[in-house]
Amino acid sequence: MSARRRAGALLVLLGLAVLALTLPAAAQDAAKEPAYRAFPLLGSRLAVWAIAQLHLNFAAFILGVPIFAVIIEIIGWRTRDARYDWLSHEFVKLTFAAFSTTALLGALLLFLFAGYYPKFWTYMSSIFFPTYGIYAALFFAETFTVYLWYYGWDWLSGPRKGIHVALGVLSNLFGTAILLVANSWVTFMISPAGITESGALKGSVWAAINNYTWMPINIHRLIANIVFGGTIAAAYAAFRFLGATSDEERARYDWMGYIGNFVALSAFIVLPFAGYYLGREIYAFNQTMGITMMGGFMSWLWIIQAILIGVLFLGSNYYLWLGMERIPGSERYRRYVPMMIGILAFGFMVWATPRSMVITLDEARAMGGTHHPVLGFLGVMSAKNTAVNMMILTTFLSFVLYRRANRISTRSWAGAGMLIQWAALVAAAVVVIFYGVYGYFVESLVRIGFSVYQVMAVLGAIVVVMAIDIPMFRGARSTGAIRWGTIAPRSQYVLIILAVTFTWLMGLMGFARSGIRQHWHVYGVMVDKSVDAATPAIGYAANVITVVTIVFFALVMFIFWLGGLSDRGQAGAHGHAPAPLIAGGSDEQA
Amino acid sequence: MRVPVGVKVGLVSLVVMGAYSGYANYIPQVQSKPPQELSLEGGHVTPAQLVKAGEEIFHTKGTCEICHRVGQKGTRAPDLAGIGARAGKTKPGMGAKQYLVESLLQPAAFIVEGYPPIMPAVDKPPIALNRSEVWAVVAFLESLGGTVDVTLDDIPATVGAGGGGAAAAEVKIPGDPKAGEAVFMGKGTCLACHIAGKVGAGKVGPDLSQIARIQTPDYIMAKILNPAGRGTVAGYPKGVMPQTFGQTLSAKEYTDLVAFLLTLK
Repeated sequence: MSARRRAGALLVLLGLAVLALTLPAAAQDAAKEPAYRAFPLLGSRLAVWAIAQLHLNFAAFILGVPIFAVIIEIIGWRTRDARYDWLSHEFVKLTFAAFSTTALLGALLLFLFAGYYPKFWTYMSSIFFPTYGIYAALFFAETFTVYLWYYGWDWLSGPRKGIHVALGVLSNLFGTAILLVANSWVTFMISPAGITESGALKGSVWAAINNYTWMPINIHRLIANIVFGGTIAAAYAAFRFLGATSDEERARYDWMGYIGNFVALSAFIVLPFAGYYLGREIYAFNQTMGITMMGGFMSWLWIIQAILIGVLFLGSNYYLWLGMERIPGSERYRRYVPMMIGILAFGFMVWATPRSMVITLDEARAMGGTHHPVLGFLGVMSAKNTAVNMMILTTFLSFVLYRRANRISTRSWAGAGMLIQWAALVAAAVVVIFYGVYGYFVESLVRIGFSVYQVMAVLGAIVVVMAIDIPMFRGARSTGAIRWGTIAPRSQYVLIILAVTFTWLMGLMGFARSGIRQHWHVYGVMVDKSVDAATPAIGYAANVITVVTIVFFALVMFIFWLGGLSDRGQAGAHGHAPAPLIAGGSDEQA
Repeated sequence: MRVPVGVKVGLVSLVVMGAYSGYANYIPQVQSKPPQELSLEGGHVTPAQLVKAGEEIFHTKGTCEICHRVGQKGTRAPDLAGIGARAGKTKPGMGAKQYLVESLLQPAAFIVEGYPPIMPAVDKPPIALNRSEVWAVVAFLESLGGTVDVTLDDIPATVGAGGGGAAAAEVKIPGDPKAGEAVFMGKGTCLACHIAGKVGAGKVGPDLSQIARIQTPDYIMAKILNPAGRGTVAGYPKGVMPQTFGQTLSAKEYTDLVAFLLTLK
């Protein structure tokens, strides 16, 4: 990054700080002004929607990537493997380039709120003013820590590497704290707490922060950010792979893409569980809101979500299966692939089956109601929980097979170990299916509890299998080195589709999160009386999400291109170690 | 001609997003419109107009259809077909319109056997129907098999005072919540059967962690003194809650306990 760009980024931060300090005054002025102003051409809602989603996308990326970047750096530091240090630096470089754009979009969002929704902003400030200063301080702390982390990569190497890693950890802690503060604002709008019936703060602001959906969204976003960061980093690597001109470059970006996808997949597997927790808390806060979300006008949104998640599961598995083709010895596991495709495809279909159809009266009479007589049974939570848990188990199996593709255990107890592993997987599948079927015969209150048993069975199987797998394959005999760079090019398009799909999914979930408030700025407290108070239908929302996703990727490509400019013509002069050779040089996956 | 990687990747991405968008536009489109305020006070309205207005509110602002159907059994709430005819026979000593008004404003006062106590009071946010709207909904429900005879005077004048975020009077109970928590965990032995936020572990009775959100102070106060008279929440055993708190608790302990329960939101 040039000195000019650095100065520019600092100016943005300074502007944000001034903004944060002047916002209360702006909010006071706003109280005398009209409740709403109209944004030219687009309308205020669309302007806020687009900028908020773009800001969220960038923020998710710059908060998610450093989490696994520092883990990769620690792996490189402890194993003294320079490849991981290079990779970690590459990942941080990507986020670094996106840092100032995130801040700019955040500032723009604040201007939009203060300018076009002044009454709403005044109200939010009346509750959350004490958190503004904390947010600004955390932002500064994170920025300077990340700057030091990135620019000090070589200065803090060798015996001082521990300090460098600590900086990485610290920047992640500050980043997570920023996430928690920002989440308190958005979750308060969904599930307000700590206020009187007239909306005034009752006591401490902590009660407003610690509302029903705050912690579930903290957890959900933290995991989703890692998935998102992984998919974007993998897509970047895929793009570089497809444009590579040498085997060495292809090998490097094949490996980088694999790591990005591995990170995304690992976090993605647990994301549905965080989603259950969030859904449960929404119901706990307000039954009407929960029912509106799942069974009201938003019910079709979850069918789209099911399709997107189905694509993510199928795509992630397909990428792993393609990746196994470049691993000598993986042939012995090919026979499992048809079975896994079957489970994933069936799970996908079950998850995408709606409970009730929006149909005409004649059609309903012909069908005997709005529920299909046969397929309607697959539209309920019992079937869907079973499907998603089976898909998670299958994806985990894909990963386990990939992990051991070129390794043969030399442990004397390997046979018994594998037997226990298979038993754990089968037992989990039996528990999942048993409670899925049993769920049809009990009341809904009891059925909800079954999902916990299903989740625990899947998580338990994952823990048992990995607890055996790691020691079982330590010091294993290799059947040949992974031929990095020889993976089929279509696999790289899969990585790009995964990134696009996950970004689109984030947009959809953003719409869901806002849409469940319907015509309320703050649910049950502050009514939306603007011209945009109606919550749009899914088609309109999808069009907005697509446009925002296109703009996001256009900006990302531009920023990555800008980031790459500084590297051109000064390879090695940047101060960081050159890219390591990877082609044909590794027996290990990660 | 060799197509640049950027173009190929861009095209793939556009096709993927286009497919998602296309499907989202293909499926049924349902928009959630903000409810319109209805005011009938002071004006002349025929029963037919009232029923029509009530039906509209039932389908829109009232969000009743999320759980209730007319002519179709639901898992969350009773079928309302014929409710106008059977409302007068559901709760002993209560006429049809009184029962319907109570069901809308204090839904937990009487829970139909087999259904969970999840209905919110319709005059409170987020539904926040005003007095005219509650009147119209009662008329619509009466029209489902019964005679429409509800008048505006049957709807309490206080209904809708707190709707839409306007200031509403807060109920002040002259008790000490901290002392009430001690009663809950000690002398009252409530924790043996109920959970209340961070205290208690019993599951014999309903979880009270949000009792102040879903119940009125009147209900909570009456339920402690006369549990059987307020009915048993669906899914829980009948006759377990002692009827003797009116004798065993002092007046202070009772008000403290109520004050504590009202903090559970």
